[in-house]
Amino acid sequence: MKKLLLNIFALAFLLLAPQAMASAAHEPVVTEANEEVYHAKPMGQMVSDFLKRTGVYALIYPDPKEKGVHGEEISDFNKSGGRVIMILVTFVLFYLAIAKGFEPLLLLPIAFGGLLANIPVAAIAGPDGFLGIIYNMGITTGLFPILIFMGVGAMTDFGPLLANPKTALLGGAAQFGIFGTLVGAVMLSEYTPIVDFTLKQASAIAIIGGADGPTSIYVATALAPELLGAIAVASYSYMALVPIIQPPIMRALTTEAERKIKMSTLRPVSRLEKLVFPIMALTLSILFIPDSTPLIGAFMFGNFLKESGVVERLNDTLQNALINIVTILLGLGVGSKLASEQFLVPETLAIIVLGLIAFSAGTAAGVIMAKIMNFFSKQKINPLIGSAGVSAVPMAARVSHKVGTESDPTNMLMMHAMGPNVSGVIGSAVAAGVLLSIFS
Amino acid sequence: MEEVNLVWEGIKFMFLGMGTVLVFLVVMILAMNLQRIIIHKYFPEKKITIIQQQGDEKARLNKIAAITAAIIHHKQVNG
Repeated sequence: MKKLLLNIFALAFLLLAPQAMASAAHEPVVTEANEEVYHAKPMGQMVSDFLKRTGVYALIYPDPKEKGVHGEEISDFNKSGGRVIMILVTFVLFYLAIAKGFEPLLLLPIAFGGLLANIPVAAIAGPDGFLGIIYNMGITTGLFPILIFMGVGAMTDFGPLLANPKTALLGGAAQFGIFGTLVGAVMLSEYTPIVDFTLKQASAIAIIGGADGPTSIYVATALAPELLGAIAVASYSYMALVPIIQPPIMRALTTEAERKIKMSTLRPVSRLEKLVFPIMALTLSILFIPDSTPLIGAFMFGNFLKESGVVERLNDTLQNALINIVTILLGLGVGSKLASEQFLVPETLAIIVLGLIAFSAGTAAGVIMAKIMNFFSKQKINPLIGSAGVSAVPMAARVSHKVGTESDPTNMLMMHAMGPNVSGVIGSAVAAGVLLSIFS
Repeated sequence: MEEVNLVWEGIKFMFLGMGTVLVFLVVMILAMNLQRIIIHKYFPEKKITIIQQQGDEKARLNKIAAITAAIIHHKQVNG
């Protein structure tokens, strides 16, 4: 009798477990029949069953039948200790976001999503949990990064770029960070036993070098969704670390005299020029590389609404309400990939190291490009603005300005650095388009 | 299955990618310069005129007087 009861409760336990829902297709009949026949339970049994559904029990005795999001096996460690470690990691991320001010707008939602995703039993990041639903709705489909790009477009002013078009080259050179890292990643997987990245995965990791969060997420979703969590976290962390990573590289590659170069004031740009530019740039990307038009199209749409000057309400919504809502959802969705079985793998460490290399290489390439351009051109440019070619708008431009004022407090580089900065966004979108086109 | 040298593939990606990005941006720079020349030649921005304000000098003074009166009145009423 006791054994029978135990069996019944074991069955009920299994059916209640959310993991069982994945295979619910042929089971609903059984579930309904079971629900109708409610067996009276002794109090002791009820309590012990309930205890088995507590977090403490689930963390100590992992459910052997629990499967990952895609039905894959999860090691016992990743269901117990791994989850505790990941929850502690999210606490560190909270600290970085709140106390250190590292991109709190994104890091907080991501970290909280990570916290929720590592809760045992509840399966919030599972296909039926709310994080899973957010993820499938906006990230699997690539929708959220696109919406973010609309908002970023509405916030971008192409004036400085239009006033000094040649600075766009700096934004192009900085994309070397992406492709240099791609080579680095495949070398790492070819010649070392630590990791084994495919070309697709290497490409998705390399895009971190563009220092453009939405683009990284967009590409990772398309090429290597299994690495999305690590890529997004690395990408946004490095964007937050721009003021720490970039200045030493910039100082190492420039001389004091170069840092003191003054640039002439930018010419005023007419409204019509600003209005025509988004359409012109979109046309070029249509002709050159249509694979990049989802990103560039959304970007230019936002910018066009802003520059048109007749849809102030829409412009305002893009810049504020829409981008804020999407940021919350994007953060939570990315955070759901911080589940321990996906994050606590050797690849994550490799991604974080490669991301740093990507970022540094991009910064260096931008500075070196500026020096090369000075070699050929009479109108000198300050090589410090080259580092702003990595997107990270407007943080990278601010860093250029700040390092510039250290050498000469009267040198105003901010507006000059915005040119490479916004062209860096276009450059990384084009680079993303190239990578996507190779694999399509 | 043929053995693919991933590193060589990666280097090929690099040339294709950097080439595309730089060509795209160079064409964009040329287009921006062309755009500037065309716009400045055929659609120059109109200078904002400030002339009309001078004629309204009297109206402006009247307005100031009215506002001043209103403020004084408001202060008197509310103590």
